[in-house]
Amino acid sequence: MTRRKFIKKLINTGVMVMAGAWCLAKKTIPRKFIRAVKSDSFPGSLKPLRDIKCESKWSG
Amino acid sequence: MKVQCELCPKICLIAPGQSGECRVRVNIDGVLRTVVYGYPCSIHIDPIEKKPLFHFLPGSKILSVATVGCNLHCKNCQNWEISQANPEESQAFACPPQELVKLTNQNHCPSLAYTYTDPIVYYEYTYDTAKLARQADIRNVLVTAGYINEEPWKQLLKYVDAANIDLKGITDDFYRRVCSGTLKPVQNALVLAKGSGILVEVTNLIIPTLNDKPEQIGRLVRWIKANMGSDTPLHFSGFYPRYKMQHLPPTSQKTLELARQIGMGEGLEYVYIGNLFSKEGENTYCPSCKSLLIERVGYSILKNRLKDGNCPDCGKEINGVWK
Repeated sequence: MTRRKFIKKLINTGVMVMAGAWCLAKKTIPRKFIRAVKSDSFPGSLKPLRDIKCESKWSG
Repeated sequence: MKVQCELCPKICLIAPGQSGECRVRVNIDGVLRTVVYGYPCSIHIDPIEKKPLFHFLPGSKILSVATVGCNLHCKNCQNWEISQANPEESQAFACPPQELVKLTNQNHCPSLAYTYTDPIVYYEYTYDTAKLARQADIRNVLVTAGYINEEPWKQLLKYVDAANIDLKGITDDFYRRVCSGTLKPVQNALVLAKGSGILVEVTNLIIPTLNDKPEQIGRLVRWIKANMGSDTPLHFSGFYPRYKMQHLPPTSQKTLELARQIGMGEGLEYVYIGNLFSKEGENTYCPSCKSLLIERVGYSILKNRLKDGNCPDCGKEINGVWK
């Protein structure tokens, strides 16, 4: 192996190691949570509020 | 431009015009928007025992609210008509946080539940309403699968008084196959909630052939005891064939009674049975002297012998929020 090839290989390996470390670090650093913005309107249809005093049919 | 939602462990990378897995968090012109904020699909007044919460203001009514959407896709979902609905195809009420707090007060409910689907996906609506409710002396209750990232969870817990959190299974494989989720974030959410000082009750839905083996139940119970404490109330709930699991039979009484026995045998102090009638499985007993403290049938309280949160016979303090 020539000196030029060796240095090229060394640089490539170094770059790959750095990229790998960056990916790992990105995964381990806690992500900053940003709230979603309230939408201007509801995409479905709206209905009037009916009697809420009856027990729900839904579980929970 | 794509946006990344950091709310839950799915961390969806959302293309313009598309929504995350929950269907309700949408990339509109490069901005992450919640399209269900202030638009619940369901508002009802339920008994608190229906959540189920057995150690939080027993016998009280709770205003219960939900929007469409969920970040999990459980094949057995009992509420799939709303949890798996697209907002575009659904109907909702216009009810901003202030209105919800007003409704709670008008109906003399001491607490407000964010429930039915999963309050995680309508996080901002839950958070803002809970903050306002706290100012109005209304208690906040979450009924959730706990599939959320740590930072938003910690922020929300500041305004929460009690939660019923599902622990649907005790293996990652179960969560992946049945719920399209993972186990670890749920365990983290449970531990964080308990550590925050709020009342936490846990629900485990027992599905025949999938998570009903005694060794699986034993493992789940031991995890709760080791990580959340023996005073954590646990509800074993019966499965009914629904949604994509109509081929399985309902959970038998025998399985639920066995699960309760395992739970109590492993040292959990309050183990309940839900979704099926059980003579003793709905009652609260003193873990110290074994006397009957709260007698329940369905969602009704027949007898409540607690004295300021203590057993009237031996004086043991019972974990809960009683007034």
